[in-house]
Amino acid sequence: MTSSAKPSSESPSGESPSGESPSGGKPSSAEERDRTPIDEGLPPDAGRRLAELEDRPGHKGMFTSDLSVNEFLLIKEAGFHPLGFVMGSSIYHIGIQTRRWSQSQELAKLTEAMYNARELAMNRMDAEATELGADGVVGVRLDVNYYEWGSDTAEFIALGTAVKAEDNNSYRNKEGKPFTSDLSGQDFWTLMQTGHVPLGLVMGTCVYHIAHRGLGQTLRTTGQNVELPNFTQALYEARELAMTRMQDEANQLGASGIVGVRLEEKSHMWGDHTIEFLSLGTAVADASDGQHTIPQPRTIISLDG
Amino acid sequence: MDAKKAVDALSAPPRPTATHHNPAGTTSDLSVDEVLLLHSIGWEPADMVFGVAWWSVPWGSWQWRTGEIVEASNAFAGAMEEAAGQLRAECARAGGSGVVGVKVDLRVRAQHIDVSLTGTAIRRTGKKPTGFEFISDLSARDFAVLTRSGWTPLGLATGASFVIAPRRTAKQWAAQQGQNVELPHLTEALYQAREGAMARMQQAGISMHAQGIVDVKMDEGPMGAGGRVMQFVAVGTAVKLAASEHQMIRPEMVVTLNDPVVLFEAASVRGG
Repeated sequence: MTSSAKPSSESPSGESPSGESPSGGKPSSAEERDRTPIDEGLPPDAGRRLAELEDRPGHKGMFTSDLSVNEFLLIKEAGFHPLGFVMGSSIYHIGIQTRRWSQSQELAKLTEAMYNARELAMNRMDAEATELGADGVVGVRLDVNYYEWGSDTAEFIALGTAVKAEDNNSYRNKEGKPFTSDLSGQDFWTLMQTGHVPLGLVMGTCVYHIAHRGLGQTLRTTGQNVELPNFTQALYEARELAMTRMQDEANQLGASGIVGVRLEEKSHMWGDHTIEFLSLGTAVADASDGQHTIPQPRTIISLDG
Repeated sequence: MDAKKAVDALSAPPRPTATHHNPAGTTSDLSVDEVLLLHSIGWEPADMVFGVAWWSVPWGSWQWRTGEIVEASNAFAGAMEEAAGQLRAECARAGGSGVVGVKVDLRVRAQHIDVSLTGTAIRRTGKKPTGFEFISDLSARDFAVLTRSGWTPLGLATGASFVIAPRRTAKQWAAQQGQNVELPHLTEALYQAREGAMARMQQAGISMHAQGIVDVKMDEGPMGAGGRVMQFVAVGTAVKLAASEHQMIRPEMVVTLNDPVVLFEAASVRGG
């Protein structure tokens, strides 16, 4: 674990638990969503444990990681060493927005809540990784959990393993922050074989209210084989909004593509007609200018099962 | 006198398989390929081993206070250590040098915390007992791969912390209604529990002279009391580089030509 001579531009300004870069949170996508600043709200206990992980004179550091043995070995194989299991979380109270029964619309206040709370969690995780001097965070998971606090309060959590390149090159993205990626250790190794590097976990979300149908419409379609255009259209629009926002984030990072995109549709606690569309993926760039040749995989037939 | 006998029986429960050393017959919950893998690195299963410990948490520990419930955190640490001690003793009796595939069952109740550990004791093939080396929750397969790349497990590293968040004042509560806001009292309690538990796990690793802790599993979130008690439990295996340097495993890419098996369910077509 040689954490000496880091090439990054991180300011060595003491023990501040929030290793947040001065540029603040991620630049938002095109929309005018007002984000709360991240630095202030960081709980005082955050990052207390990280000091123990680092090598100091008279103290031998070590790493912690939630990577499986396979993933750990593959990360090593890709030329990285794990530094620490990093986390960020926020318990967040989601506001109320009235919905019109018969109108399909984005619920801006709820969208904002989902963005804000996830960014709080993500940025706190980033801050821990930055403090460890990491080049990136792999195996990121982003979860929303509801417990017995009621339907408007949720825990947003981001988890991952901070890693550092063993060749001492900086793999930070162009914002000077550690890259984040939800790729598993296996996917990360495979991605690196193809000459690509991850730049950041990008996401787009949209909370959308889908209009109920009026009585007349319901009667007209009873017993018929017909498409329900207002439902179809609403789903399309919400999905487009989420995907576009994700792509905007990737463009800001200067990505050449997004891999491993997942689109999740969840109603959380809002009832039937209100759905969050969340798209998540890892923005990547080709680091080899297309020079890289991908090894031809061997084809096998497995005889089990 | 009877009480002493009972306590003695508890600390050394009679084990039919462990009392006589039988190299031909071993009990293990390992699969055939895991046994083969173990043999490939010079190990073999010895016996299944168990450890159980219940520790009480004093009455009233969870009431009328905020901050960490030190009694509960200590009960966890004590129960874990005692259960691991039993596992180690059983392993020694079975002639094993290490325990792999340890399953950790933890229950936290208001009055007690219990830990039960189940694993398979393994020993080096064809050698006299080499003494106790490690307990690990890694599977036998993981142990084999890790050993081949030059690393060795040292032991289970665990940590837990239980923290009660303060109540909100009526004014705070009112100000948060209908708003998009973070709830700092809960978030901070969660952070306190997390930092406490992770720091204890790291301390355990450092005291074993580990270079890292892999496969950390964590359980976190509120438990009872209206969601104001935050628990955080972390369990992992401390590891150390035993060889002079990390051995690359050089994986090879393969594409399997097997088609995914698609099960056709008639019921789904019938609408049943």
